[in-house]
Amino acid sequence: MALEHDVYVIGVGMHRISAAPTPVRDMAFDAGINAMNDAGIEFDTVGALYNGYASGGMTVGVTLAKDFGLTGVPVAHVENASATGSSAFREAVLSVAGGHSRCAMALGFDPSPGAMMSGGGGALSAGMLSAFFKPSVEGTLLPAAFFALWAVRRMHEAGTTVETYAKIAAKNWNHARLNPYAQRQADHQITAEEVLNSTMIAYPHTSMMAAAVGGGAACAIVADRELAEQVRDRMGHPLVKVVSSRSESERYTPGHLFMGAVVGPSELTRSTSQAAYEESGLGPADLDLVHVHDAFPVEELLYYELLGICGEGEGDKLVAEGATEIGGRIPFSTDGGLIGRGHPVGPTGLAQIWDTTVQVRGQAGSRQVEGARTGMAHMMGAGSVCIIHILQRQ
Amino acid sequence: MAERQPLEEGYFVMPDAAHQHPRLIGSYSPKADECFFPRRKRCPITFGPVEDRLLSSEGVLYSWTWLVTLKYGAMTTGGKPHGVGQVDLPEGVRVQSRLLGSQGDWEIGMPMVLDLLPISTDEAGTELCTFAFRIKEAGADGPRT
Repeated sequence: MALEHDVYVIGVGMHRISAAPTPVRDMAFDAGINAMNDAGIEFDTVGALYNGYASGGMTVGVTLAKDFGLTGVPVAHVENASATGSSAFREAVLSVAGGHSRCAMALGFDPSPGAMMSGGGGALSAGMLSAFFKPSVEGTLLPAAFFALWAVRRMHEAGTTVETYAKIAAKNWNHARLNPYAQRQADHQITAEEVLNSTMIAYPHTSMMAAAVGGGAACAIVADRELAEQVRDRMGHPLVKVVSSRSESERYTPGHLFMGAVVGPSELTRSTSQAAYEESGLGPADLDLVHVHDAFPVEELLYYELLGICGEGEGDKLVAEGATEIGGRIPFSTDGGLIGRGHPVGPTGLAQIWDTTVQVRGQAGSRQVEGARTGMAHMMGAGSVCIIHILQRQ
Repeated sequence: MAERQPLEEGYFVMPDAAHQHPRLIGSYSPKADECFFPRRKRCPITFGPVEDRLLSSEGVLYSWTWLVTLKYGAMTTGGKPHGVGQVDLPEGVRVQSRLLGSQGDWEIGMPMVLDLLPISTDEAGTELCTFAFRIKEAGADGPRT
């Protein structure tokens, strides 16, 4: 089902992702103001606000909205694990697409683990943390293991090497060096050898292959055509249309896993992307850049194939050719991805929207993908929800 | 040996006089002719009723890893490096669980058998266990832990 009304991204904003214990209130305000400044609008233009945060706490989003102003705007809290920010963005898109508002804001924020444990993030209480860590049968399986199981199986089935995983991670570290909002800011070009020599987490994954965990905030504002054209004329940004917004949860597949820290079939990405291609009338060959849920490099490798960028078993060849680097045929994770830019959860999907928007506008500076017009942002939530957006410059 | 009990009810039954190994409690959907684990409230395919079914204690290793650096959930695992794997049971169910053994022990396709893994001890001294798979060795059928 296509979006009923055309929807455009008119403003995006970020607060740098980092391990610093910055209060979420400050980070969220910063990202929101940056997005409104980018669009050249004030908060009274926003007709709906969707806050995405995963670290708990009732009415945190409403409290933060008061910092922008008291306008009577409807405010809601969205949570979908890693896909929280993507879900908030989709709700904003649907609000405009359905004619419920002319302009909607999606704001994602979460504290760094340090701020969360010290109570500075307004997040998990000590009691909630205690419950989270209570011994349970399902609690004995840790998230890092699930991705490693994927990686080992892939090595068995397709002959993928640990060097291929290391090359993907190194690429994303190096993309992050070009992103001032990225958590990981290496002072030199990272090599695959360095990645392989870092601390082992879960075979075959090392610490430099893992998503960086920090806090941060990101914001995107969408609007209808009339308002988007006003912003274009006033701010000089080209129109960026949301040509697809799709979300799916699991369908049963043989060998379906119901238990574990992170579950869900990888086929979910294939079916959601097919729906996104159908909705947009585009195909993989039309994409100029792609963002994915690269918590570990095996994910990015598999998504090359599941998104139809290459054939089954051909992802390793893309890595060997450098095709997914900036400057390559189809750059992935151009802002560093979860591995380099970081994965603060609430803001992550919106950070993808931020980078995709500035890329297709031609405003990405040193990490600009030449001639970029169309970009995809893909996120998974707890392995069980897949959300894909495609943005295109008009 | 201390008395042992499941850490949580509803996932598996303890070994008994007739069965040397613990057995997982799954759900069987007669309409879909499929089994699931852990138990489902109803069939996820047909939405019809399911019935409890004790699953095979043996299967084939689908994938494995050796988890070294533990973060979230470390308090529930004792904080020590350990194996994790996925095992395919003959009923068509893939089970994700802890593996008993050491790094380097496992190869995809190995025959595996279900065993117990003590996680904690209650006030009465009873060991509270989850389930785990270990390599099935020829001629060594009994539980080891």
